[in-house]
Amino acid sequence: MRRWLGLAGLVALALVSAVVLGPAHVALGDLTSSEIVRSLRVPRALLALLVGGSLGVAGASLQALVRNPLADPFLLGLSGGAGLGAVLAIALHVAGPWALPLAAFVGALGAMALVYRLGLVGGAQLDPRVLLLAGVAVGAFTGAITTAIVSLAEAADLRNAFLWLWGGLSGASWDTVLVIAVYIPVPLVVLYAAARPLDLLALGEEPATHLGADVEPLKRRVYIAASMLTAAAVAVSGVIGFVGLIVPHITRLVWGHHHRALLPAAFLGGGALLLFADTVARVSVAPRELPVGIVTALVGVPLFAVLLRRWMGPRG
Amino acid sequence: MRRLLFALLLAVACRPTADRLSVPATAHRIVSLAPSSTELLFAIGAGEQVVGRTTWCRYPAAALRVPAVGDGLNPNVEAIAARQPDLVVLYRSQMNETAAQQLARLGIPTVTLAQDRLEDIAHAARELGRLTGHQPAGDSIGAAIETLLRAPTPATIARVTFVVWDNPPMVIGGGSYLDQLATLAGARNVFHDIAGASATVSIETIIARNPDVILVLSDSTAPPAYSARREWRAIRAVREGHFIMLPGDLFGRPSPSAPAAVAALRHALEVRK
Repeated sequence: MRRWLGLAGLVALALVSAVVLGPAHVALGDLTSSEIVRSLRVPRALLALLVGGSLGVAGASLQALVRNPLADPFLLGLSGGAGLGAVLAIALHVAGPWALPLAAFVGALGAMALVYRLGLVGGAQLDPRVLLLAGVAVGAFTGAITTAIVSLAEAADLRNAFLWLWGGLSGASWDTVLVIAVYIPVPLVVLYAAARPLDLLALGEEPATHLGADVEPLKRRVYIAASMLTAAAVAVSGVIGFVGLIVPHITRLVWGHHHRALLPAAFLGGGALLLFADTVARVSVAPRELPVGIVTALVGVPLFAVLLRRWMGPRG
Repeated sequence: MRRLLFALLLAVACRPTADRLSVPATAHRIVSLAPSSTELLFAIGAGEQVVGRTTWCRYPAAALRVPAVGDGLNPNVEAIAARQPDLVVLYRSQMNETAAQQLARLGIPTVTLAQDRLEDIAHAARELGRLTGHQPAGDSIGAAIETLLRAPTPATIARVTFVVWDNPPMVIGGGSYLDQLATLAGARNVFHDIAGASATVSIETIIARNPDVILVLSDSTAPPAYSARREWRAIRAVREGHFIMLPGDLFGRPSPSAPAAVAALRHALEVRK
């Protein structure tokens, strides 16, 4: 219980600091009336929470699925697919306010489908090892096509692609928050419903089958739901690294291996980390702004090291 | 020892390369690998001697008749050599130093010129005039820009922000020639304190610095698409529609037409008042 209160406190602190702190000075008394707070800071903070949470849950689920601690939502080719989608839309001059996020989303799903298909090459069973290899291969392939387009197309247009290649929350608005808030509950619920079977899967596929888990449909459901979460995150904020890799490990150190607790904790932890990181990115070098992916690594990795020492030290 | 050798190599590489190989008294076949130097060559009357340009070199219109040899960012040495130049003009950057060495190995003389600020353009005009046999014209353009730079700074009539990209928001800082043009036209760039030529900032910072006018590099007269978005409308100048569009021919690069650019910006700021 104390752990949950601590995590909730952390999320609240992260939300408050994201709304109160910023490069512009807003007096505490004006917080509710300020246009800066209402149009910029609040939607950006909410988007950080939702994107960070999605990445945390997607990472935790995928690490359980492929039983590999290095699994990351972006390792399975999704980032490459999203980048390619965005760059293609720019090169083909697809216009419209949602054209680029949609193209990135479609690109990520296309890469997911390709990786999924390759994961089935060994027969009807989704092989986690093949899935990882296929993810790396598809990522490299889409990355190569993206680089080819970037180096051949008109460079001025391609500045549009910066956001997807660097990652960042500068595109936050109430519209993006609304779209993400409506979209992510479905994959989140699917993953949470798979929490128990995911615990069994950790024992290995055969023991899980013996213990009554329907392993093949489970793997597919988890893979698709986690990819859908990641695709939405990448569509609105590009590739933000480390959240989906580090947060599941941190939460596993604190909450153990039961996904009923692990998945919600990964959501809140991911949200809190991205909120803190984005606040640092906005404030630390003001008036300039850092790419948030740099900060997630700078904040997340030392935090991870400290926790690793604290939780592994006495035993190991 | 190896480090010393490396330092020596670096020192040699960083010297202006024109004096390393014998540049013919007057260059007759010039490949120019930067929009600023291409424009300068035409401005000093050496346009007929230009036999290669980059795809970005679009000014003046006559330059478009010269064959393009690439985008100039990562020079294609073979395509440049195929034009059989007796002088290659490069923009000063790390990648171009490598290209300059490769060209030197092929026996093609190069000159590497900084082209970031107005004073660079004045220097480049004189240098190119000397190398192409148009010294009086080069000196005259150099002198005109130096006069412009020496003129007393006019009083500030508007506080401005150059928004060059919207997501992530990027603005022009004090290191850019655009900041110089604004100062000379009586505008104060609110991001003058950023030392670099450009920087990523947040919309919030633009709101806090509250410019009177947003300056946009664009040949179109329509306000940029982001001006309709709610988060951008929190900026007063965006909400009130205070945009000034800067056409690419005058403002797209530091150029010998800087005096005209300053006058055009000054006029646009005065009309607005």
